[in-house]
Amino acid sequence: MIDLLTTIAIIFTAAGPFLLIANRLGLPPVPLLIVAGLVAGLFIDEARALELAQYGIALLVFSFGIGIQIDVVRTVLADSEMAALGQILGVGSLATGSGLAIGIPIEESIYLGAAAAFSSTIVGTTLLKKEIRSNLVHGRVAESIQLVQDLIALLLLLVLGAEALAADPIATQLGYGLMLLLGAVLVKRYVFDLLGRLAGGSAELMIIGAVSVLVVFIGAAEGADVSVVVGAFAAGLAVRHDADEHLDLYNGIESIKDFFVAIFFVTIGALVALPTLETVLIAAGLVVLTAIVKPAITMAILISQGYEPRSAVLTSLSIDQVSEFALIIAIEASILGYLTPSVFDAIILAAALTMITSSISTRYNEAIYRVLSDRGWLPARYGKIDAWSQVPSDITDHVIIAGYGRQGRQLVETCEEIDQPYVVIENDPAVRDTVQAECDAYVFGDAMEAYSWQKANVDAARLVISTIPFEPVSRRLLASSFEADLILRTDTVTSALQLLEEDVLYVVVTDLLAGEQLVQYVQALLDGRLTPAELRAQRVAELEPGNDPRRERTRSDGDPQAMTGEVQRS
Amino acid sequence: MGFTVDLAIILLAATLVGFVARQTGQPTIIAYILAGVALGPAVLGVVEVSALTDTLSELGLAFLLFLLGIKMRIDEVRHILTPVLRISFPQMAGVGLAGWGIAWALGFTPLEALIIGLAVMYSSTAVVIKMLTDKDEATSLHGKIDVGILLVQDIVVVILLAVLAAGRPDSLGGIATTLVVVLTLVALIGLAALAASRYALPGVFRRIADNKQVFFLVALSWAFLFVLVSKEINVILAPLGIEAYLSIEMGAFLAGLAIAQLPYSKELQDRINPLTDLFVMVFFVTVALDLEARELLFYWQEAVLAALVLMPVKFAIFFSLIHRQDFRVETTFLGSISMIQISEFGIIVGVAAFEGGFVAQEVLGFLTLLALITMGASVYFIAFSHALYERAAPYLDRWEQDAVFEADEKVYRDHAVVIGYDPVTRSVLPLLAEHYDEVVVVDRKVKHIQLLKERGFDAIYGDFRNATIRKDAALKQADFVLSSSVEPDVNKALLQEVHRGATVFVEAETVEDARELYRRGAHCVVLSEQFAGGRLAAYLRAYLKDEATFKQCVDADIGLLRSVDPLPDMHKQIVGGLDD
Repeated sequence: MIDLLTTIAIIFTAAGPFLLIANRLGLPPVPLLIVAGLVAGLFIDEARALELAQYGIALLVFSFGIGIQIDVVRTVLADSEMAALGQILGVGSLATGSGLAIGIPIEESIYLGAAAAFSSTIVGTTLLKKEIRSNLVHGRVAESIQLVQDLIALLLLLVLGAEALAADPIATQLGYGLMLLLGAVLVKRYVFDLLGRLAGGSAELMIIGAVSVLVVFIGAAEGADVSVVVGAFAAGLAVRHDADEHLDLYNGIESIKDFFVAIFFVTIGALVALPTLETVLIAAGLVVLTAIVKPAITMAILISQGYEPRSAVLTSLSIDQVSEFALIIAIEASILGYLTPSVFDAIILAAALTMITSSISTRYNEAIYRVLSDRGWLPARYGKIDAWSQVPSDITDHVIIAGYGRQGRQLVETCEEIDQPYVVIENDPAVRDTVQAECDAYVFGDAMEAYSWQKANVDAARLVISTIPFEPVSRRLLASSFEADLILRTDTVTSALQLLEEDVLYVVVTDLLAGEQLVQYVQALLDGRLTPAELRAQRVAELEPGNDPRRERTRSDGDPQAMTGEVQRS
Repeated sequence: MGFTVDLAIILLAATLVGFVARQTGQPTIIAYILAGVALGPAVLGVVEVSALTDTLSELGLAFLLFLLGIKMRIDEVRHILTPVLRISFPQMAGVGLAGWGIAWALGFTPLEALIIGLAVMYSSTAVVIKMLTDKDEATSLHGKIDVGILLVQDIVVVILLAVLAAGRPDSLGGIATTLVVVLTLVALIGLAALAASRYALPGVFRRIADNKQVFFLVALSWAFLFVLVSKEINVILAPLGIEAYLSIEMGAFLAGLAIAQLPYSKELQDRINPLTDLFVMVFFVTVALDLEARELLFYWQEAVLAALVLMPVKFAIFFSLIHRQDFRVETTFLGSISMIQISEFGIIVGVAAFEGGFVAQEVLGFLTLLALITMGASVYFIAFSHALYERAAPYLDRWEQDAVFEADEKVYRDHAVVIGYDPVTRSVLPLLAEHYDEVVVVDRKVKHIQLLKERGFDAIYGDFRNATIRKDAALKQADFVLSSSVEPDVNKALLQEVHRGATVFVEAETVEDARELYRRGAHCVVLSEQFAGGRLAAYLRAYLKDEATFKQCVDADIGLLRSVDPLPDMHKQIVGGLDD
């Protein structure tokens, strides 16, 4: 029997090359770690591997608990719980039903349902990092759906931990789970700060202290016969704090997590035996359900909830994979003996495969959207442009400002200061009220639609400024035949240079202009024309009062979707 | 799930005693060892060594050595390399001899005395580096000398461990054969590591350096490759009929050494550190777990005596050797006073010697106790080293000499720190370079680091979240700080750390974040959308009122867009004074 240290050494040695492949192909590391496990599995033995996987699970859930932001959960629960719940029920029951149909007993089919229904937060957030950070609608919706799923998965783990699927044991489990969460709140409120003080700034002690909290909660969960995953989650909540106070602590936990989670995923792969025909068939079914049926159902639900078709498609294409929570559920079930090896293997194989396919579907999401849209498979949207717009019929020599984000807003202010007539074109429902309240003249329609421009009386305009950094909008305007001068916006220098070849007055590159503005401030300070305190007062005043036209979290002017049809919820 | 209760108890006890130690100013190592003594058969007897704790403590050692390897930047210690080498070997010989003599005098057998001599030669990396870092002296001249000597000692200890791991040889010839096989293998693996570091690793790491998680895991994978080879060397070489053993510490160290020569090692240190701390903790707790109170205290009088004699002897040896290398008396004194304790490697050598069948468990107990006493005492000597020097200075005058080596360390003060080279902040760099003697740029992209260095900036590769990086950039001493990170956590931490008089520009993504950052003292929060909007509005005004100026602005901007210069002198090219 190979000892533990050798097992770990083999796991990491095997992981290296596959991580390099993942990096080279731009794939998320997780599925490649599972594939590395298929290889490592030839050399290590399962019992050892399983032992290690537990630590990976605990730390994975622990850091999920640490990373969770309560206020975000609150807004999310209001926002997309329906989508998440509907999707889980729809896909879950479909998968469970399919399992039953091919003769898998109900106890096992449930796990197939879980595997198909939940999507991976780790993979999803890696794929949508940029979208989530710039707060694009589909990034936000995908993130929140996954958050809801994760919380439900935790609940499911709690319930599955019950000895029998009867009301009483389940109630007991839920009770214990609730007590753990209560304990977490108490620790967070009373113990954690004490730890911080006692550690006296030592990152080492803080990290060991936090891991101790984890161990205590896991111990408590084991004592109460609740899934230790729930204990680990509660522990994460208990040490969750403002990251800036304990940057070292969270960086440290990140390292420890990465270490054990890598072991977990490789081990998962190592547990897979040489697949039988049965395994392959079940896995194939799961892949179809997860990668095709799930996004289709999610799309339908989101569209019926009032989301724009484009946001619905992009969101759905980023959650079309099996979740790491499904893997945890499967491994727990397998330990308890609820799962036959073929179903277990199928779930893991399907997870690895769908994690890879989902990064491909995310990469080509725009193209897929276009195909769906061109084939007429998505419902069209007819706005009430006339009813929502207000443009003086005799307006001439005006400036048309497309997009009422931060840039558009500053342009409007300038126009008003010097009594220059203008018309704003905007279509994000989230700012409709603001536009109505703040602008003299506006068209509430899509900048891609000719009618919006006609409505804004573009033929009599003096200047058109598009603050929408979206190539199709720019091309659309270049192709139009109006006389007015044209200023476009783009985000890259390359496309700016291309656009400058065309008949435009100027091309806005945000980074360049922001840099120029910054240089001027810094120069004023260095020359002594301005003191730091004066600059600060000036800048603070600029932010107030209630200046942001949109909800704080929405950056619509950097957000092409907001202008071209992607709407949060009508 | 079978979480071992043992591990939980170890963690809890270590945390508890660790906090107490922290509050009383003792090093954490002492706390861990004491926790181990308390949990082990010596006192409570509630925890036993298991496969899991064994593995974790082995991992701890491997990581500790990997970390040490990573720190071995040849170019950073090169200028004191010669004096350090001239100090360390005579020092080890001298202290080893003294240790052997003391042990002999205390009545240990010749073999035991030899092992004890070999075990007390080293000073504690953990204690010295930790204390110096806490006092912000690790990069001072005496700090560098100490670190250099510790590294040389570590190489010696790694070779010694490899010899001891081979077990008790039958004869002197056996020892010689083992030594030759070990040295050959170490040389071969070392050559392989260095060759990789020159030819293979730079390409591999350059490609992944921008992906934090993959970077970390691939580095671990690299380390474990060496651990695996070292651990299974006997299996690997068996077909050739060679019997050989290597320590996994050696493998990990060489793996680290290969990475150290790449520009990313600083970053990696901060990632490996937490894992090392955690696992090394398990190591120190379990060290004493095997020891019955009887074994630990069997030679307690000898241990106290040895400590009382060894500490001054160590100091004297260090003092005379460092002094002979033409350092000033203060440097010599401070460099010597830090090094008077017995290292944790002393215990490791003891463990290896015990497992190799060289000594009895009581001797291991003696070494453990000796390390405990000297480490505990030395912490106070290091903490009050400057005060002690003040007291001793009048008596040390006669050794004062013209110093050949003196501090040439680049110390930043009243400089500019820029975090992240990005399309917005890059435009400020030439402007800052005109006003500040030193502009330090921290960035996570290798490409940027190369570019900045070519253009004469001090560029540091790494993540600003890491304390080491912030320290290297001397954030606390900066006069001007510009952060292009939009992560509020990073910026908040930064605002907390800068000194009162510094001017701070930070970037944010949302107005809400910006308000919060202003509340926390930022002078200017860069919201690129808003900044661009402001400038664009000024252009619009010019377009409507003063077409000539507008034309100038447009031409200047088109010039900048066409320019391929990654660091344009924007402040000289753009049209100013558009704002009211």
